[in-house]
Amino acid sequence: MSAAPLQIRPAELPELFATDSRTKAMLARLNELGIPGNKTEQYKHFGIKPLLAKDYTRIDAQQGEPQISGKVLSICDGVVTGVPKGVAVSFSTDFQADMQHYDALYYLSHLLTPRCIVLTVEEDAAITVVHQLTQEESLTAYRLVVNVAPQVKASFYETFENEESSGSLLLYGLDVSVGRDAALTWVRNQSSSEMSAVVIGSHRYDVAAQGKLTLQTFDLGAGNALHLYKNDLAEQTEANVAHLLFGTGQAHLGNVVNLRHNGRSAKSVHEAKSILKDRATGIFDGLIRVGHDARYTTARQNAKAILLNDNAFMESKPQLEIYTDELEASHGSTTGELDEAALFYLRSRGISLEAARKILILSFVNEMIDAVEDNEEAEAIRAAFDTAYATKEIL
Amino acid sequence: MMNIKDLTVNIGDKTILKGLNLDVEKGSVHAIMGLNGSGKSTLSKAIVGHYDVTVQSGNIRYNDKEITTMEPEARALEGIFLSFQNPIEIPGVNNAYFLRTALNAKREHEGKKALNAAEFLKAMRTKVEELGMKPEMIQRSLNEGFSGGEKKRNEILQMEMLEPDLIILDEIDSGLDIDALRAVAEGINRMKNGERSFIIITHYSRILDYIDPDYIHVLQDGKIVKTGGAELVKTLEAEGYKGIAESSS
Ligand SMILES: Nc1ncnc2c1ncn2[C@@H]1O[C@H](COP(=O)(O)OP(=O)(O)OP(=O)(O)O)[C@@H](O)[C@H]1O
Ligand SMILES: [Mg+2]
Repeated sequence: MSAAPLQIRPAELPELFATDSRTKAMLARLNELGIPGNKTEQYKHFGIKPLLAKDYTRIDAQQGEPQISGKVLSICDGVVTGVPKGVAVSFSTDFQADMQHYDALYYLSHLLTPRCIVLTVEEDAAITVVHQLTQEESLTAYRLVVNVAPQVKASFYETFENEESSGSLLLYGLDVSVGRDAALTWVRNQSSSEMSAVVIGSHRYDVAAQGKLTLQTFDLGAGNALHLYKNDLAEQTEANVAHLLFGTGQAHLGNVVNLRHNGRSAKSVHEAKSILKDRATGIFDGLIRVGHDARYTTARQNAKAILLNDNAFMESKPQLEIYTDELEASHGSTTGELDEAALFYLRSRGISLEAARKILILSFVNEMIDAVEDNEEAEAIRAAFDTAYATKEIL
Repeated sequence: MMNIKDLTVNIGDKTILKGLNLDVEKGSVHAIMGLNGSGKSTLSKAIVGHYDVTVQSGNIRYNDKEITTMEPEARALEGIFLSFQNPIEIPGVNNAYFLRTALNAKREHEGKKALNAAEFLKAMRTKVEELGMKPEMIQRSLNEGFSGGEKKRNEILQMEMLEPDLIILDEIDSGLDIDALRAVAEGINRMKNGERSFIIITHYSRILDYIDPDYIHVLQDGKIVKTGGAELVKTLEAEGYKGIAESSS
């Protein structure tokens, strides 16, 4: 591990990186999009500016000597420390990033990552990815490339252990390709507190024809995490994308999702449910883009948020962008409070206000947790939810 | 058991109940009738502490305690139960889980030990069968997609499981088919034990034939304007509410 101070200043960026054509192209994209500031749409409510202006100790990810460890891929401060059995893990210095990503930090994290971690899944597999962060006041950048071969069924369960990494920033991301006829389920269960590193994940999922993507994310607790997705859907693909967010304390938690129907007859369902407590901020910025060639698309998007008190805030921005005629598309967004009539009904049967609130909150979140196919994972998420729910704000 | 004195109640800035008086002694069965919009549901809401109503003046004493400032759950734990005129649907909340939570809250309040899921389900199944409800109702979301009659039976189910002391039934008989009406009336009669009291809000004599009330009250213009025995229903059915207020004043 080598440590050198780093601040992300646009003017210094070119000197930081090598100058091969791949790097140059990414730098050009980064400059085009600009380092995100408080006016950058996707980061507006995330408080990005101080995060990028801060002096961090730079953690350089080394290659390390990973242990073969059952079904777990563990990454500790950017170093792969365990690899799952039966899955090829390699490191790539020349991964070709998507040149159409909308997020500047997608390029920045690629530029800061000397070697992408590459996972190739050639037979059906269930893999757990654990991100561990142990350093405070540090910047860690790494990226994971996941290739799911055609016709393969893979499921990933991603989780974070970063309870003692305060003041740090993790810039990471996934470049996932789902092969023809393949099916990928990706579950992200991310709990965080005010002691956790800020996490910015900038991702791209590329789903080939007839592929299926199930993406389920759970952002829980009082930490700061923003995930930006660009999901490309080829013809006859199916995408189910669901986000559950429960923010407490002074959390800033959010998902920015660009779901792109590029080929015909693809189906997508995109749902977001958010609950914000205390002074937490939640972000849902979802764009479904139906391209010229995407006839017979079905796209459904829905965002619901519940604010548990006056200081909580939800930014909900569902959008449809349509360039073809023949499609079925719908979207909707509601933000409100717990249903007073329902609360009263429960209380009129002797259930305390506190218990009634919890029953209604659980009824709001259960559906999404139940939709996680693996029971053990669903239970872990439920437990993480309970922990976040029981945590009182530290003032 | 309950004494309502000079009760004046607003919904918003509209005064609905205007100095209403009503005494309900232990073991008595009362029916309240009156025109649409006369304030019958408002009275029931005032007794259970619904957020729509604000008590302007007067009191409601229940077992010698003033309850107008008590939280709704505290009133329920003290034994007051309202079967709603329009029970709401609560998607995602399992009917059995809800009712067990409510029952165990009551049992805890009474210093009894909580029922586990198996013990509770056994009792719930028996009641569901007695009420002629479909067994699937047990595991469905609370009232979600229930027909009008199914919702009413579900209210009766809650009443029977929670074993309250003062039972207010707001139009429990509306929209019930003949069999359902009988099942519901039998459920109510099973609850009669000489100790419990009932307030039955209704527009029809039919349910009263089954239940046999001790008193019939007519609510009009925010007050009880006439009280009589079971025979008063026949007069009302024959002549309507016109002239009731005059004849009593
Ligand atoms: N939430 C509310 N907001 C405004 N007005 C209300 C509200 N609830 C009730 N009211 C009014 O209060 C009055 C009494 O209503 P209430 O529901 O008590 O009548 P009711 O006697 O139960 O009638 P019904 O026989 O039709 O059930 C009506 O004029 C009604 O419109
Ligand atoms: Mg009414």
